[in-house]
Amino acid sequence: MKPDLTPSICLLIAVVLSGPARAAQDPPRHLQTYRQQGVDQVDIQNGRQLWYSTVNQRSCTSCHGDNPANAGKHVKTGKAIQPMALSANAERFQDAKKIEKWFLRNCKWTLGRECSTQEKADILTWLSSQ
Amino acid sequence: MKHKTMMIMGYALLASVLTFSFYGMGQSLASSNDKYGEHDTGEMEYEDSKQHAATKQYPLYVDECGSCHMAYPAQLLPPASWQKIMRGLDDHFGENAELDTTTRQALEKYLSKASSSRSYQKLFRNLGNQAPLRITELPYFVHEHDEIPSRFIQANDKVSSLSQCNACHQNAERGQFDEDDVTIPGVGRWDD
Repeated sequence: MKPDLTPSICLLIAVVLSGPARAAQDPPRHLQTYRQQGVDQVDIQNGRQLWYSTVNQRSCTSCHGDNPANAGKHVKTGKAIQPMALSANAERFQDAKKIEKWFLRNCKWTLGRECSTQEKADILTWLSSQ
Repeated sequence: MKHKTMMIMGYALLASVLTFSFYGMGQSLASSNDKYGEHDTGEMEYEDSKQHAATKQYPLYVDECGSCHMAYPAQLLPPASWQKIMRGLDDHFGENAELDTTTRQALEKYLSKASSSRSYQKLFRNLGNQAPLRITELPYFVHEHDEIPSRFIQANDKVSSLSQCNACHQNAERGQFDEDDVTIPGVGRWDD
């Protein structure tokens, strides 16, 4: 009698197929960096609040629009900006250097100061959930 | 006995395939690190090769500067203007456009060489020693655009400003500004 390898093969196929699918839904790997920098807990509501806050008539929404799942438009040049929500744009938040470049520039422009590591982790978490 | 051997072989096969599939996933993560992470600095080095001849744009320049506005061809300003622009990126026409040192230096090198091209020298007529920060302030530029009514540019929603070269100059990003290539949105071809 030959041994029945069907369950093993099914398990193999299931594991191989579920690997990449699960990875795509994972929160950005960059959050791990923020954890290493001392962020214990993320506050998703604070991330949302920061996104919609207005300082001196400037807000994230000035360029990115009200809904992060939609494309935005640079407030001055009119250049299109691809959606920030991970659900609408899977290419977002894959590149640590890029994330930090834009947080530095845009926090300074929008809030008039740099964002703290906690704030960056909160915003990143909120955008990833959208 | 034969049954047991086959079972062992089956599980060994499963284990080895799983090992390789996880290895593959690890490899793909590692390669994406290379693509976006710290190992990409080699690509930033600007080489003065035929690949980046007068009208070809440097990919790093298009990527970094072209994400907020049209990647203006480097030849449209003299080297001294680019030097001033690159030194003031923290207040770039009212915006913060800071770059890390490696990227900024690579772009400075590119802009310096590309803007030294002699093919666009007529743009710098009557400029003297001035180094304007805006292409739209070049005397030659002003002269070339002074007959266009504001309803075609500033009051035209599809153009809005002379800074939007590519709204009318179809091949602007490739450095081509021939009048034959001009189509003003909502107006049509322009011929003066």
